[in-house]
Amino acid sequence: MKNVVFSFILGLLAVSLIRCTEYPIDEDGLLITGRSDCYISSFELLGADHQIVRVGAAAIDTVELTVDVMVLYGTDLRNLYPQFSLAQDAKLDPKVDGVVDFSDLENPKQYTVVSGNRKVRKFYTVNVSVQQKQ
Amino acid sequence: MRIKYGSFLLLIGLTFIVAACEDDGYVVPEGARNLSNDCIKRSLGPNVVGNEIAFAYAMALPADLGNLSSARVEASIAGAAGTYLEHRSFYTHSGGIVPSTGDEREGGADIGIVVGSPSVTNDKITEVTFVKDTCASTLRYYYVIPEEAKGKAVSFTFSATASNGESVSYKMGPYEVGNIEMKREIVLTNDSYFSISDFEVYDETQAAANPEKVDLIYLYRSIGGINFGHALVSPGADSEFLPGLTVPTGLNNKTHIRKDSGSRDQHLAQDRYGVFVDDVDLYEIDLSAHPFYGLDLRNESGVWLETADGKYKAYIYVNEVDNAAGSMTVSVKRLLID
Repeated sequence: MKNVVFSFILGLLAVSLIRCTEYPIDEDGLLITGRSDCYISSFELLGADHQIVRVGAAAIDTVELTVDVMVLYGTDLRNLYPQFSLAQDAKLDPKVDGVVDFSDLENPKQYTVVSGNRKVRKFYTVNVSVQQKQ
Repeated sequence: MRIKYGSFLLLIGLTFIVAACEDDGYVVPEGARNLSNDCIKRSLGPNVVGNEIAFAYAMALPADLGNLSSARVEASIAGAAGTYLEHRSFYTHSGGIVPSTGDEREGGADIGIVVGSPSVTNDKITEVTFVKDTCASTLRYYYVIPEEAKGKAVSFTFSATASNGESVSYKMGPYEVGNIEMKREIVLTNDSYFSISDFEVYDETQAAANPEKVDLIYLYRSIGGINFGHALVSPGADSEFLPGLTVPTGLNNKTHIRKDSGSRDQHLAQDRYGVFVDDVDLYEIDLSAHPFYGLDLRNESGVWLETADGKYKAYIYVNEVDNAAGSMTVSVKRLLID
């Protein structure tokens, strides 16, 4: 009986020690983990009416660090909502917190993906093109 | 000691059980011994000129005291044409033959029983005189919001009288009426011109004669490689967005337009959906950063817009597009901003 009680207490101690191992938190209140993955896995563009304006799939090149996306003819490029899916625990800089102006096609928007361990940073360029009449 | 303690607990327990078993006798509540009334507002959403505000007014008295003689409603502002008080009392049918008409109806149907003569409206007062010997009835009241009520509050006094001389009344409101104006089911044909300020559709000649009034041009185009479809374009937009159209000289208003697929206003969408565009929506929306065109409009989509002079903001709902005819039916809510 004594052995059972001893084992139980020992188990509790082990659990509490594990629980005390906390990950640090960054300036955005996000966990800094051990992951070094750093990439964009998918990309979406919504118009001012929150409908998809993308034509075809966005081409994400994780070597060249580019996202090439074509949007519908007549899309209001000044009022777009980009949506990024990133590697686990990674974050985006700058944050997307509303409409983004993609109208300057000569100077495409750039976004930095920061890995979960905050040690890897990759600088992506989002190239938007507009569907043309045939 | 243990037995005494146990007996004490048992005694307490029994006391609770006995006390709990004493049931209060139920007495069927007695209804009021006089003429009573109640009222609910049936319609929802903002109050817009031309729309109805609907109520249900219930009145009753004990059968041995007499029957209902009349019901009337007094509005603080006289209703527009079409305002009336039902002379039928409605119930929900359970299905099968309707006793009053002999017709067969599905369950859930709204069946009206005539209890009075059709209502008579005289200025602010609408009245029904009962012709059936009835001691309880619920009459519906439909108030068509008049132009005079725009931007004001309107209230109502419902009242009923009985054959024994009793009378009761019930006040409803005040209800604020918005400044929004509305026009439904406007048919736009290909290359037609639309004015927000007067809700009119112009042809090319009329548009040329009233260039300052034209805020939008409706086009339907099927162009390879792009989704142009049904479009609302400002006369002053880049000619790229007015393909195949020579805009008459002098038409150059640049109306800001923002597409919106989610704001399906119930007033404009023939009582479907639960969204209402209200004054505050149009007051607050900022369209200055939006383009001068809305392309590829579809059924049940819409656009927000602001006229070039900043005088009006509006929401246009697309009721129907017709690809074969190259036409679009829209309904509009507009607000004078000045």
